[in-house]
Amino acid sequence: MKHFVFLGIGIAITLVFFILSYSQSFNIFEQLYFNQGFNDQLYNLSMYPVLALIVIILTWGAAALYYYVINSVNFDRWYHWAGVLGITTLVSPIVCYLYIDSALKNAGLAYGGESVQFAMQLLLMSAVLFVVASFSMRWWSTNCRHTPIPQ
Amino acid sequence: MRLFIFAIGGTGSRVLKSMLMLSAAGVRPLDENGQPVSNMELVPIIIDPHKGNEDLKRTEAMLSAYRSIRYKLYGNRTDVDGFFANRIVTLREIMRDSSIQLNDTFIFNLSAVERNKFREFIGYDTMNEANQALSSLLFSNDQLENKMNIGFVGSPNIGSVALNEIKDSNEFKAFANVFNQGDRIFFISSIFGGTGAAGFPIMVKNIRQAANLDINNRDVLRKAPIGGLTVLPYFNLELGDDHRIDKADFIVKTQRALYYYKETLTGANDSNLNTIFYLGDQVVSVPYLYDPGEHGQRNRAHMIELVGAMAPFKFAGLPNSQLSDDNGYPLPSTAYEYALDKDTLNVDFKAMGAETRALIYSKLVKFHLLFMHLNTGFKDTIGQGYTNDKPQIKSDFLASQFYRTLADDFMNAYKEWITEMYNNMRSVELFNIGEWDMNKAIHDVNTAKSFFGRKSVDNNVFKSVMNNLSQSSTYAPDEVELKFLDLFNRAADKIVAERFENIN
Repeated sequence: MKHFVFLGIGIAITLVFFILSYSQSFNIFEQLYFNQGFNDQLYNLSMYPVLALIVIILTWGAAALYYYVINSVNFDRWYHWAGVLGITTLVSPIVCYLYIDSALKNAGLAYGGESVQFAMQLLLMSAVLFVVASFSMRWWSTNCRHTPIPQ
Repeated sequence: MRLFIFAIGGTGSRVLKSMLMLSAAGVRPLDENGQPVSNMELVPIIIDPHKGNEDLKRTEAMLSAYRSIRYKLYGNRTDVDGFFANRIVTLREIMRDSSIQLNDTFIFNLSAVERNKFREFIGYDTMNEANQALSSLLFSNDQLENKMNIGFVGSPNIGSVALNEIKDSNEFKAFANVFNQGDRIFFISSIFGGTGAAGFPIMVKNIRQAANLDINNRDVLRKAPIGGLTVLPYFNLELGDDHRIDKADFIVKTQRALYYYKETLTGANDSNLNTIFYLGDQVVSVPYLYDPGEHGQRNRAHMIELVGAMAPFKFAGLPNSQLSDDNGYPLPSTAYEYALDKDTLNVDFKAMGAETRALIYSKLVKFHLLFMHLNTGFKDTIGQGYTNDKPQIKSDFLASQFYRTLADDFMNAYKEWITEMYNNMRSVELFNIGEWDMNKAIHDVNTAKSFFGRKSVDNNVFKSVMNNLSQSSTYAPDEVELKFLDLFNRAADKIVAERFENIN
């Protein structure tokens, strides 16, 4: 039962993240980094929900990969999990940056420096969401349910 | 059902040790339908005046270790599966009558016999001249001077006199008191030595003539199903100057004793003994150090003892209809012999018959894998996977009395046992001795083939399967020990069935 509560909380946090990603009044992407012109373009091109989805899919996907595909006694130490966290935290902003850069170029806009700075904030968001995803789904993993810390 | 096992003499202790190993591996007596005999308790009673006998001391130490491990795992429960499945108890533990003073030990107290020379025991010096002459005719000077705390030194004639005292002992009274309808009695002894050859018929006689004794349960005892394992010559002795025990006498003594048994125990119409298992081997062992008793008598474990250890299990599983008639009276003797499937000097599982393999193969393999796991992988597992499930197995588990008894005392004895059997003749080569790679653990049995070659068995495979099993298992907070061994047992079941070639 406790494990389903964790899963529910994790899903709720992720949904809130997604909802806040296209919120006008309190947009989560604009809290850590805001540049008037750049953020307006992201909002106008409806890129926030797509970015949120990329982060969610990559972090939850990486957690699922670790807990249910890798799922091995050879990779059940905390540092193995930390490795996946690190990779995910790096990959997610890179993918987001590539998406932003591509979308802005297609629109004939050039925000190279802003795109990089914006992507940096996704490091933190990806890390947080990977932790949320991990603590939502790890309980049913055969070999890694006690990673990174015992239940 | 309780099976009272009287292990008499050095061979009795050694067979009992093998039986303990099988019990630790989880071998249980099976009934005629192949199901474990329910509510089974084993009550071993070692009869040997030679307390300094190293084989006896080793067996006693293992009995104590087994008992403490099992109690920690299952308490007083009987019908359990897994390692240390058979409940083994002392007479003291099951005794109802507290007026009988008894030590909580598996060893029959023979202090009246042990402390005397034989001449003192029979009161030789107080006999009149005629009786002294008769005694001197019946017993050699060596035998009269024999200090019986080293046993009867291959002399059943003095053993048969000394052990007749047993019927008056507290142990015998306690045994008679706790023996119930449905219980069975089994004797393990050799026929070519002194203590076993003498003690076996005397004990059977005393039980069958229970009506004449001042004990409870006389009628039940008189009708009790009794079985016996009689071990024929199977070991060899180094030559020595002292000839109190001479291997050349083994066959002659055996022949004479067999005649005597036929007259008193196993005759065609004789119901004293319901079942007798004869076991011997014309291939003699590696010569044992000649030691009539003074130096402790420490003999290597032998295949005969392993095979003999299955006899009490077989007896316990026999249906009542093979032991008693409709009125509950014992039926005449049925004799069993044992043969290997292949007459080879290197006996592995494949050389044993199908019935033996069905009884012991998977159990012993699982126990051997446990032995390997405890030595190579378990410590590194603590703090990961299933050990973190509740109840947690923490690092202090390694310092617990239970773990020390299991991993050090019992497993060292196990290693000694399989190594001794391997180094004996016939060589018992069930496992590749000294091999720590689980894939190569079983002699002449490979891991099963898979699409990519052969399946692998190692500590990580065990950890993974145990992780999986632990997810759907529940144990009480005080069942840490049970959790570990139960998970390992169930994982080993799966791994042996799926990852090793099937030789059954």
